[in-house]
Amino acid sequence: MSIEDSEIFTKNKPLVDFVITEGQNLHLDYVEARYIHLTSEGYTFRNGALLGGGVTRTDGIGLRVLHNGNLVFLTTAKLNRDSLSELVRRAKSKVLAAKRKKPIQFSQEPVVEDEWKTPYQIAFAEVPVEEKQQYFATMDQTLHQEFGKSLPNRTIMVSLANELKYIATNEGSKIFSEKMQPVLHTFNTAVGDSGSEQRFFGIGGTGGWEWFKNQNILQQVRDDTLGLVKTAKHAQSMKLGKIDVIISSEVAGIMAHENVGHPSEADRILGREGAQAGESFYVDLLKDGELGSIQLGNPEVTIIEDPTLPGSSGFYLYDDECVKARPRALIKDGMLNELLLNREFAHRFGVSSNGAARAETYDREPIVRMANTYFKPGSYTLEELAEDINHGMYMKSFSEWNIDDRRYQSKYVGLECYLIEKGEITEKMIRRPILELTTRGILGSVDGVTKSFGSSHGTCGKGDPGQGVPVWMGGGEVRMRGIQLGE
Amino acid sequence: MQNNFSKEEPEVLLNTAAELIQKSGMDEFIAQYHSGYDWQIRFSNSEQDIMKEWEIDKLEVFLVKDQRTTTLQIDIPTPTIIEKKLKEASVFMKNSPPNQLYAGMEQSIQTPPSISSLFDSRTKDLVENGSENVYHAIDAALAEGAKKVSGVLYFGSQITSLRTSHGFSGEYAASYYRATLRAFVGSESSGQDLLCGRNLDDFSTKMKNVGRNAGKIASMAVNPKTGIAGIYDVILSPTVGGNIFGEITDAANPLLTMLGMSPLQDKLGAQLGPESLTIRDNPLLGEGLNARPFDVEGTPSQVTPLVENGKLINFVHNTSSAIQTGGKSTGNSNFVDFGGGSQILAPFTSNIEYQPGDFSHEEIIAESKKPTIYITSNWYTRFTNMMEGTFSTIPRDGLFYVENGEIQYPIRNVRLSDNLLRMMKNIIQIGRDVQQVQWWEVRTPTFIPTIKVADCHITAPTK
Repeated sequence: MSIEDSEIFTKNKPLVDFVITEGQNLHLDYVEARYIHLTSEGYTFRNGALLGGGVTRTDGIGLRVLHNGNLVFLTTAKLNRDSLSELVRRAKSKVLAAKRKKPIQFSQEPVVEDEWKTPYQIAFAEVPVEEKQQYFATMDQTLHQEFGKSLPNRTIMVSLANELKYIATNEGSKIFSEKMQPVLHTFNTAVGDSGSEQRFFGIGGTGGWEWFKNQNILQQVRDDTLGLVKTAKHAQSMKLGKIDVIISSEVAGIMAHENVGHPSEADRILGREGAQAGESFYVDLLKDGELGSIQLGNPEVTIIEDPTLPGSSGFYLYDDECVKARPRALIKDGMLNELLLNREFAHRFGVSSNGAARAETYDREPIVRMANTYFKPGSYTLEELAEDINHGMYMKSFSEWNIDDRRYQSKYVGLECYLIEKGEITEKMIRRPILELTTRGILGSVDGVTKSFGSSHGTCGKGDPGQGVPVWMGGGEVRMRGIQLGE
Repeated sequence: MQNNFSKEEPEVLLNTAAELIQKSGMDEFIAQYHSGYDWQIRFSNSEQDIMKEWEIDKLEVFLVKDQRTTTLQIDIPTPTIIEKKLKEASVFMKNSPPNQLYAGMEQSIQTPPSISSLFDSRTKDLVENGSENVYHAIDAALAEGAKKVSGVLYFGSQITSLRTSHGFSGEYAASYYRATLRAFVGSESSGQDLLCGRNLDDFSTKMKNVGRNAGKIASMAVNPKTGIAGIYDVILSPTVGGNIFGEITDAANPLLTMLGMSPLQDKLGAQLGPESLTIRDNPLLGEGLNARPFDVEGTPSQVTPLVENGKLINFVHNTSSAIQTGGKSTGNSNFVDFGGGSQILAPFTSNIEYQPGDFSHEEIIAESKKPTIYITSNWYTRFTNMMEGTFSTIPRDGLFYVENGEIQYPIRNVRLSDNLLRMMKNIIQIGRDVQQVQWWEVRTPTFIPTIKVADCHITAPTK
């Protein structure tokens, strides 16, 4: 059955279309209405005890109007014609009152009518509450039985979301979608000889209740927690000096996201996020060079941004401006290659949008966002990368991280980290090694990427008011040469 | 065309909600209803980017049955929708285990304190003249030498009405505004200032001052030198102090302690800072953006000293956490969002208020003879270990090297990598320039002055 024929859309599609018609009747240049029906089911457990849980359903329409070069965004959960008509009138009144000197314009994009859906077998709503809670309680029991007093504090936070969305524009585009999104986070504290270590771990993707079994989530959580417990027990501080470093796909992923993905966002480059998430050091690079001719890293570095990755947290086939999604090579063979664009900033750059507009919920405006950002896998195995290191480190996971608001200088503190000696990853664990590096320092040190692909889930925050969107980060494991560890 | 909703008066709505909840067989409940509007004007490159409006019409419900709990959030509540959600909630709770965090809610009915100046009726006028005020601020920044200006102005008002199963009924109206403005002279020289409050007296002048201050800092930050890692005394502006020390004051919370997210787990009674340091949780401060006369259980708001003469003397509590720790509720009960549809009834801080110190901002600079770094703004504070308080944060905007009592030159590209508890213990000067800060990086409204800390660890990239 087409999702367009579902009860939710049958009832609410006419209201969205009505908003568009009202906007056309008021002769507004561009009208976009985004209806979202979101069911969120959440649980928080601490040491096996349920602290809170519930199901929230929200329905609403976010209306964006661009008229005479000015932009407004209004939202409502009052889904009836009188209120929606009033909403459109208020939008017109506000947009006429705005007086920009430099008009905002959107790029021309194909008009599309389509639908997409993430596949699932078992909808979350079909699974009894008791069964779900038992699954997470069992997860906690497993950790407690295995790790006992070494793991005194265990928190599990679960989100099971089903999003039904219909977007329509006065240009004629109409996109229906359904996305089923499970996310699980753990926040654990392990104790050992050196004190305590903490780990915030996230796994997410698309799928129904079967995702937990198919992805072997219980095993993933257990394995991750083992790393934390080992670190608390065995990690020693070491003065290593300048070494070669292999980072896992988790660490490579966060670097791809923070050091490359974010500065590639065109709205940051052109200043729209200036007062919040900041700008981008790409501004200086683009003053003197063009995309395709600016070297940012070694030729081994290719960073892909791809919303169409099946099963991924950041998955979509059309963005929130009805632009078809596709993979984007942000960096290709070390060269700055492509930016992330929505229609406003595509126009500013004189190109087409590459489908990077996303909004977290109906009451947030769509802005330029990442989806799934990763180091393109290369040709090595992990063993081959290590073979060529006489004295170095394998950073498997990280704890603390941050980066400046131009996305130039970053810090990643290792959590589960192993000494590499004479070409072998040993069992000797290094306590809290610090990578404090510039983006060029990272990308200019890479000389090998494995052929494997790993992914980590994250919630990327941006915008004001803040919107967190689900993303993946990852790729191959990466070797960097000549890294001086931080103090 | 038949409407599928009706906008009820809060009292009527809550009466209906209370009847339906009682009919559904709940042992206890809280029903809180919000109605109003929020607006936002965002600007960048010295121009308005977008104006946004959100209508608020939301009912939040906390339910208890046989020690099982759940929360509901209902937009545009009507009797039909409330009834439907209650049926779903009953099924959910029946299949859930008892909530060990829940030990009870406020049962007594007490008269809440009156807080003046929560509501300024002129707030709605900002829908018409908000843009004009934004452009005043932009122009003021440009006049100080800025080349472009970005920022945001939020404002709004709402009525909050509460009903509990123990007979509490209360309502209050509140309005607010808050603005952040960032002025840029170059891509590496910028300055930021903030403004927040409720009273709109002299609003236009205040906005111009925000622009002027941000522009001045940006102009001072031109041609920054690369900072050098080392140990420095550090001067934290109110914005920065509100972020860093806010991680301590927000963590004076039994829920966060239980989860391992607080460095204060065994610190009650411990000396955290100098004797000149006194901090309280104060929901009665009218201009404070989290001011309210009662918490979500109907417990009257009260001032709770957290740190007195440097010693940690209290955590914030609600009824459940107080019962479990043998104390008393401090009137800080909230619906705390843990994401994904799951809210928890738990304590949380309201407005944080620092007692002013003895020094002006200028005196603090003038007394900084040894190498000192002055941080005007920061972001991206993250932890290696929240129980230890080991963290780092990135300075942004004007960042200055101070020596011999004067700002010598601007610097860039360094990080403050330290420990929260060590920093609080090493506070050496507290200013008297208290201002309220709340923005993207400071979520709890905090009234805080400039603060100087000794011997902080500054790091820089190695490659």
